[in-house]
Amino acid sequence: MQPTRREFVRWVAASGLTLALARLSPAGALPFEASQTLPGPANAPLIGRARIDGVAKVTGAKLYASDFRAADMEGWPATTAHALLVRTPDASHVYEGLNLDALPPQARPTKVVGATDVAAAALRAPPFYAGDLFCPVGQTPLYLGQPVALLLFESFDAYDRARIAFRDNRALLRFGAETGPRTGPNYAALRFTRIAGPTPGAPDVYSPLQQGWISPGFTEDSGRPIWRPLPTAEGGDYARGATYGEEIRALLAAESSDLLVLKRDFQTQSVDPMFLEPECGLGWYEEGAGALHLVLGVQSPFEAAEALDYMLAEAPATVRPKRLDLDFASLGGGFGGRDHTPFPLYAGLAALFLPGRPIRLAHDRYQQFQGGIKRHAFHMRSQIGIDRATGLISAFAADHVLDGGGLANYSPSVATVGATAATGIYSIPKVDVTTVAEHTRGVTAGSMRGYGTLQTMTAIETLIDEAATALKIDPVDLRRRNLLTAGGRTMTGNPWTVSVRTPEILDKLDAHPIWRDRAARKAAAPAGVLVGTGLACCTKDYGTGADCSLGRVEIDAQGHVTLHADSVEMGNGIGTAIARRVAAILGQTADAVTVARIDTFQELGLVTSGDPYSMTQATQDAAAKNPRWVPAISSATSASIGAHVGTQAAAQAARVLFRFGLWPAALDLWGIKAGDPREFLWEEAFWQDGFLIMSGLPPLAQTAIAAEAHARKGITGAMAHAFSRWAWAQAAFPLGGLDWAAEIDALAVRQGDGPFEVLDRSFVFFPPTDYNRIGTAFTSSCGTAVRVEINVPGGEIRIAQAYSVFECGEVLVPELVQGQAQGGFAMGVGYALLENLPPFEDGPGNGQWNLGDYVIARASDLPLHALEIEVLPPVSPKEPPKGMAEVVMIPVVPALLNAIFDATGHRFQSLPVTSAMLRKVIS
Amino acid sequence: MTALSLTINGTPHGPIEVRDDLSMNDFLREVLGMTGTKFACGAAQCLSCVVIVDDDDGTSATRPTCVTPAISFNGTQIRTVEGHAKEGKLTALQKAFVAHYAFQCGYCTAGFLNEAQVFLEGLQATPIPRAGLEQAILESLDGHLCRCSGYVRYHGAVRDVVLADPARYLR
Repeated sequence: MQPTRREFVRWVAASGLTLALARLSPAGALPFEASQTLPGPANAPLIGRARIDGVAKVTGAKLYASDFRAADMEGWPATTAHALLVRTPDASHVYEGLNLDALPPQARPTKVVGATDVAAAALRAPPFYAGDLFCPVGQTPLYLGQPVALLLFESFDAYDRARIAFRDNRALLRFGAETGPRTGPNYAALRFTRIAGPTPGAPDVYSPLQQGWISPGFTEDSGRPIWRPLPTAEGGDYARGATYGEEIRALLAAESSDLLVLKRDFQTQSVDPMFLEPECGLGWYEEGAGALHLVLGVQSPFEAAEALDYMLAEAPATVRPKRLDLDFASLGGGFGGRDHTPFPLYAGLAALFLPGRPIRLAHDRYQQFQGGIKRHAFHMRSQIGIDRATGLISAFAADHVLDGGGLANYSPSVATVGATAATGIYSIPKVDVTTVAEHTRGVTAGSMRGYGTLQTMTAIETLIDEAATALKIDPVDLRRRNLLTAGGRTMTGNPWTVSVRTPEILDKLDAHPIWRDRAARKAAAPAGVLVGTGLACCTKDYGTGADCSLGRVEIDAQGHVTLHADSVEMGNGIGTAIARRVAAILGQTADAVTVARIDTFQELGLVTSGDPYSMTQATQDAAAKNPRWVPAISSATSASIGAHVGTQAAAQAARVLFRFGLWPAALDLWGIKAGDPREFLWEEAFWQDGFLIMSGLPPLAQTAIAAEAHARKGITGAMAHAFSRWAWAQAAFPLGGLDWAAEIDALAVRQGDGPFEVLDRSFVFFPPTDYNRIGTAFTSSCGTAVRVEINVPGGEIRIAQAYSVFECGEVLVPELVQGQAQGGFAMGVGYALLENLPPFEDGPGNGQWNLGDYVIARASDLPLHALEIEVLPPVSPKEPPKGMAEVVMIPVVPALLNAIFDATGHRFQSLPVTSAMLRKVIS
Repeated sequence: MTALSLTINGTPHGPIEVRDDLSMNDFLREVLGMTGTKFACGAAQCLSCVVIVDDDDGTSATRPTCVTPAISFNGTQIRTVEGHAKEGKLTALQKAFVAHYAFQCGYCTAGFLNEAQVFLEGLQATPIPRAGLEQAILESLDGHLCRCSGYVRYHGAVRDVVLADPARYLR
């Protein structure tokens, strides 16, 4: 029996729960395929080549999780209850419970859920979010913003009254004795040390790639790691790596007259992703069916399902649902802040504790500031040694301390990415970087656009600028002399495996009028205005070392193309990008594109086990013998991997469909028989205006080819899974009498109108597990030049002109790429000049923060009509797409700081640089 | 509780009994289910939530809904994002937003759309010189926050709607 759409894919989770993940298809809303499809038959004449969700977004269609109520959902009860997640503004006193008697009678909840209830139901916090789901009464909260209770209300009015009461009246939470903040172990402490060989081609003397990543085994009483080379009981040989590291530090401390050594502190602030749609979820625990239904908006649907599964797994049968039914909506922004968020757990709890009633849990903005994931604040102490004669960097050392906040999240990963980006775009033979992500009582820090790199590259790019000034070397020239070029080794000891375009980017910056005319502009500054110019060039990895892609492509007898993918739409235009990449292969822009789909790939029968980041080679080799096994099934969406990862499986599926479906049909139509030498020249054919063009043969209409493919029962659909660990997994599949090799690890195909059938791979190569020692292999680069004008004595700063130049391989959708760069510029300006969340009690954890206090860039803060964006063409027509949505933000920040120095003569060593700070240094 | 009556996108609503402190945003989203009008800050700082209020004198203005009591809209005629397109046909402004890739996540789009529509209607009533167009757009839209786009494409879309019909908007 064909399952219903909503129940299309299922798998049995570790707990035995049945999971069903579907793309949202609510009653009463626009039919999803219609609202999300553009250009399709209905909308193509209206708009043309635009983003697939464009019409839906300008007509107010229900797209986001916050748009849906019970009445919108097919088969749900009509009315919606509401939940309020109460978070603590205090993490230094004992929490003694709620004072609900102080609430007005009309604001009393129907039910209160807290730590006791969760414990009684044997519900567990997933290990990724290690800690209590709620602060128990009688304990000091683990961190500011930790949930203490979930209040459930039958009516919206009661909820609304209570929400305002809790915002305005802190006495509703009772606190007792002062204990001071609770302490916790560091989330991570790592050391990255590399000593290059004596010549560029020689093997490294020591590197993380060769010897493995190392971590110190001891901490001081304060919790700080002891970085001295003491032996560790387990893990990598810390003492050996640390000994090399200390040698580098001794070199920098030697005060050689041949070496310019700069030692600088740099601090970056905590900021909020400030996606405009506060987090939200809608749930319904359908007791009779034992089904927990949830509508969620996250960047990581698969993770949300696994986390919910873990939370429920040990609950008694009386509590535990038999199945989870999860729908995923478009996001009103993400920027990383919805990747691995614990919010879905609380949406699930709300539904579970008010069975039979649909219930909505929604943050308001105060709550989103109080509980949403933040960017890590960094404290960096950097040392750089540059040979005065050559201008070559001899050595670099840094010590990073991150504020990870009070709930475990991505801190170890952000610390790693930040540390391995600390050397920027440069080739440095001796590097030693320590990093520690600390537990504090602050609001949780996790993923956010730039992901550690923003912080550490800002530090290096301002340091390089300062060195250039000290050495009296042109800043571009100093950068050129030290560039890490193709084949050179990064600080983890591996080379980048993609194109390296920083030389061209520096050339572009150098030649741009902003930079070229900087002296003239400075000289022509009007009275009362300081003019300064700065530039920076950065690079950013795209990919995590365990990235997955699911894609499904079908063509009907009329030539209509349908696409499904697992990536999530959060504004990045992933559906549009997939449609464009596939259109180039199938000759037709898709008529229907759906994203966040994990329900259309069941024929692949995928299974997984182990942790793709830490498994051994033997484990992987053994598991890979199962033709259905993959290292991971689905991964979180981030804008920076959208083009590279998110489109991969669909593109590979489309190639299969073309090669074994459309191409044989075209051969038939051309009358080319088997054995004709043209039989295998499929790569020479190309599409033009809906026709397949082949030299010496009549053009064939795509519709005619599709009809023939169906008539001959050729392949008319393909679905694929791809996995990347800094290289794509490769496999071969029996197709058309050949072993078809492609950068995918699972494939199913459909012939004619038949069902999809999975193909056993005849060969598979998964990237070796020691690739996990790589810091970054995939990277893309961006440079920015800015000219600023600062009023004297007020300190108001205006960005007069700006230019960003970057590369991203094949540009799938130029408008999206430009838009990401423009948006990244704005976010960079906010980070450099405006945004700031103080730590701890004065910060967002106190529940009193909103826009107004927190300032993000407005249009008038930006050079809307003087911002030039240039995208370098790909190095070859076949260069695949590269991630670009993060890197475009990064050089904006150091370029602004360098421009401010040029204008004022003062180097700021912390962010943001506000007008008040400028006023002080120029007065 | 107060009985609230108003006209939304040409359709009369009410009288409906609402709490005096119920926000207009919650009235639209929770009572009427009209979620095209967004909630983002609840403090009238981002203006994602604005709707168009059409006055009897023929003028229109936007008002935030997140901090404004619903009853303050009693007797008014308002337009929301759901009401711009007529019979499935997008307005010139909606088409321009889509064609320019003006937005990314789209959560602020309803607010920008309403503000820019009022701006265009204002230009139609009182055309301005071409030289002042970009500044006028900036002043009109600057209260609206967008976290994704960097604003460039929103402003470009509005500008191009004006420039496509200069006789209507410019003098």
